[in-house]
Amino acid sequence: MTGLLVLLFFLIAGNLLQSSFALPIPGSIIGMLLLLVFLMIRGRTPESLSQISKTLSPLLPLFIIPVSVGIVTQKELLAENGIALLVIMAVSIVPGAIVCAAIMKIGRKNSAE
Amino acid sequence: MLNELLHMPLFWAMLTIAAFTVGQHVYRLLGNTAFLPPILTGIILVSVVLEVTGINFDTYMEGGQYLHLMLGPVVVMLAVPLYQFIHVMKKEWLRISLAISLGSGTTVAVAVVMAHLWIGNDPITMTMSTKSVTTPVAVTVSEQLGGISALASAFVIITGVFGALMIPPLLKSVRLDDPKAMGLTLGVCAHAIGTSRAIELGNQQAAYSAMAMTLTATLHAVMLPWIM
Repeated sequence: MTGLLVLLFFLIAGNLLQSSFALPIPGSIIGMLLLLVFLMIRGRTPESLSQISKTLSPLLPLFIIPVSVGIVTQKELLAENGIALLVIMAVSIVPGAIVCAAIMKIGRKNSAE
Repeated sequence: MLNELLHMPLFWAMLTIAAFTVGQHVYRLLGNTAFLPPILTGIILVSVVLEVTGINFDTYMEGGQYLHLMLGPVVVMLAVPLYQFIHVMKKEWLRISLAISLGSGTTVAVAVVMAHLWIGNDPITMTMSTKSVTTPVAVTVSEQLGGISALASAFVIITGVFGALMIPPLLKSVRLDDPKAMGLTLGVCAHAIGTSRAIELGNQQAAYSAMAMTLTATLHAVMLPWIM
């Protein structure tokens, strides 16, 4: 439970910072960055945090289902642009993947060690 | 009585969990196919039930919000793997940072420009910019940008499915398929769904993919609100 408490503490801190300074970055992301800084200062991950992380990670997709079901409110938009959107998503992967893999490969023969 | 049940928030929370569980079983039965990640099955099942019963999304969300509430803590939790990856990438931080920022920047820029020219609808363009970010972050960021969070999730999942299917043969055909490059690219372009594919390819691919996915999500969550 301590792990969840830590997560909520940083989430609330992130939300407070976001709203008091009207930051464009979402509160949960600010909370994550704060937690990252905390972990770096502390130098290791507390047991309670690794525990909650192990418990919650497999459930992550479940928490995303409700907002994703909102797709039912976008039927017209999808009927009109569905094909274009699919083509854009498929095509845009190719240049990104090649840039990314090329940078990982440039200047070395084989990194599989 | 049926009508009462369909307006009970707890029923919809239960149905969502049931749909996800079915999704996990289907995924396993089909040999972990990239075509049908559990989340996609879950979304389809719940949407079908809503269509059939004629219940609107707001009524559904009265129950769905119980699960949705956990999205915030789960995003904060990403700091845990991120902290571990920072140690891993020390040795090659420059190469990895360049690959992640330029690779993800390229795919997003191409998608945003295409969406702008072809569809020309601002909320869609905004939403498209979050397509390479892992879903919990994409949903949160697209709300902030004035995009459509439900669409953000759809874009991310479809991008993940396409990426997981296309990237391994694509990189093989251009001979850029060493394990680190493959893992990193799957994480950058196909986030969590790419990472499940990377896990099947090997340990090194899996580690690099998970790292790339987390770093891409963080980078984009911080940068997109200023750029878009």
